Amino acid sequence: MTDEDEAAFDEFLAARSTSLMRTAILVCGATSHDAEDLVQHALEKVYRHWPRIRSDNPEAYARRIVVNAAISKARRRRLIQEITFARPPETAAPSPDLDLRDALFEELRRLPPRMRAVLVLRYWEDQSEAATAALLGCSPGTVKSQAARGLARIRERMNVTEGAMP
Amino acid sequence: MNVEDLLAEAMERQVSHVQAPPTLGRTVRSRHRAHVIRFRVAGAALVTAAVAVAVPVALGTGRTAPAPAASSPTSGQDTAVVDSVTMPDVTGMKTADAVAAVRAAGLGLEGPEPSGTADEIVVTQKPAAGTELARNSLVVLRSMPRAKDPQDLGDLGDGRTFGGIHIGYLPEGLAWDRWSGKNGFGRKSYATSFSPGGDGTKGYGVEVVVYEGEAVRHVRSRMGTVPSVEIGERRGYLGNLTDGGEVIEEPREDTTATIGFLLRDDLAVEVYISPMYVKKVDAPAELKKIAEGIEAAE
Repeated sequence: MTDEDEAAFDEFLAARSTSLMRTAILVCGATSHDAEDLVQHALEKVYRHWPRIRSDNPEAYARRIVVNAAISKARRRRLIQEITFARPPETAAPSPDLDLRDALFEELRRLPPRMRAVLVLRYWEDQSEAATAALLGCSPGTVKSQAARGLARIRERMNVTEGAMP
Repeated sequence: MNVEDLLAEAMERQVSHVQAPPTLGRTVRSRHRAHVIRFRVAGAALVTAAVAVAVPVALGTGRTAPAPAASSPTSGQDTAVVDSVTMPDVTGMKTADAVAAVRAAGLGLEGPEPSGTADEIVVTQKPAAGTELARNSLVVLRSMPRAKDPQDLGDLGDGRTFGGIHIGYLPEGLAWDRWSGKNGFGRKSYATSFSPGGDGTKGYGVEVVVYEGEAVRHVRSRMGTVPSVEIGERRGYLGNLTDGGEVIEEPREDTTATIGFLLRDDLAVEVYISPMYVKKVDAPAELKKIAEGIEAAE
C-alpha cells in the first residue's frame, strides 16, 4: 500500500467511521463497545482491499459488511434474550414515563433485526428503496413491505400505549 | 411531524453522542497485521505438512525424487514466456462459485470481492468468457440478489393473476419480475411486482398488493385521508404516500404513487408506482388505467 493509499484510508476513516458505528448500534442494538468491534472488523476488510476499492465506492462496501454483520449479531442477541427471558415479543409495552421518542426507539428495538435494518437505512440514513435493497441483498419490493410493516407495527403499538395512558 | 421523522429523530438522539475513537485507524491496521500473520502461519503450517508427507513417500519408494525441470528455456534464444489462461463463463453462477471458478482459472478479482450472500448471482463479468489473459490478471464480477424461485406465491406465470385478482392492464414494457410476498403488508396480504423487461434488480416499476379479510381495513382507513378518485364505477384514493401513509402533494424520493380501492367488502387492492418509475410515466393516469383493469379472478 502506498503512502497515498494510507492517507486516503485515513481520510475515509475520518469521514465515515462515526456514521458506520452509529448504524451498527441502531441495527443491532449493541453497546458502543460491541459496535466498535463490529466496525473494526468491517474496516479491516476494507483496508485489506483498499488499493483496489478506494476509487469504487468503498463506503457502500463497508456499510454492507457492517449492516449484515449487525443483523447477524442482533439475531444472536435476540435468540439469547428469548432463551434467557422466555418473554413473548408482543408483551411488555414501553414505560409511560419515557417520552415519545424514547418509546419509539424502544419499539424499534423490538422489531425483527432485518425489519429494523430497513427502517434504519430508510429513515435514519435516508437511503432510497433501491439502495437499501442493494445493501441488504433483497428486492425493493421486500424493502417496501418491510418498511410499511415496521412503521405500522410501531404506530399500532404507540397508539395502544397512548390509549392506555391516563 | 410524521412517524418516519419522529423515528429518525429518536434514532438520532440515541446515537448522536457516539463518535468513532481516534485510535480506530491504528486498531484496524493492527488487526490487519494480525490477520496477515495468521495467514502466513497457516501457510507455513501447510508447507510443513506437505513436506512431512512428501519426505516419507520419497524415502519409502526407495527412489529419488525427480530432478526439477529446467528453470529456463534451453533454446538459447531470448523468448518472452507468457503464461496465458482463459476467462471462464461465470455469469448466472452463485457468487461464491463464480469467485472460486475465477481463482481456479488462475485469475484474480478487481475491486471488492462480492460479499456473496447465498442468494446472489453474478450478472456481468469483464472480460467476456473465452478471453485469453495473462495469468493473475484481474477481472471484474458484478453480482445481484437473485429472485428466489419459487417465491412466496410460487410461479405466477405472467404474474397478472394472484391473490384472487386479475390485472388486465400494465404499462408497456413491464413484465413480471418473479418477486412475490405473502403477508408482508398485514395478514392476509399478497404482493407482486412488475419491472421494465422483467428485471427487478434495478427496482420495481409497479407493485400490486391484495388485501383480504381483516387486512382490508388497511385500505378502508385510507379512504377518508387520501384524496379520492373515481375508478370506473368504483371509488378509491390516489396520492403520493410515504411508507407511513402520509400524503404528499408532489412525488418525492421517499414517496410512492399509490391508488387503492375495494373490489369487494373482503377484498381490496393497492397499486404502487416506484419513485424510480414515476419519473418515466404519467403516474396518476397509469395508476387509474391499471386499477380500472383489475377485477376479481374467476
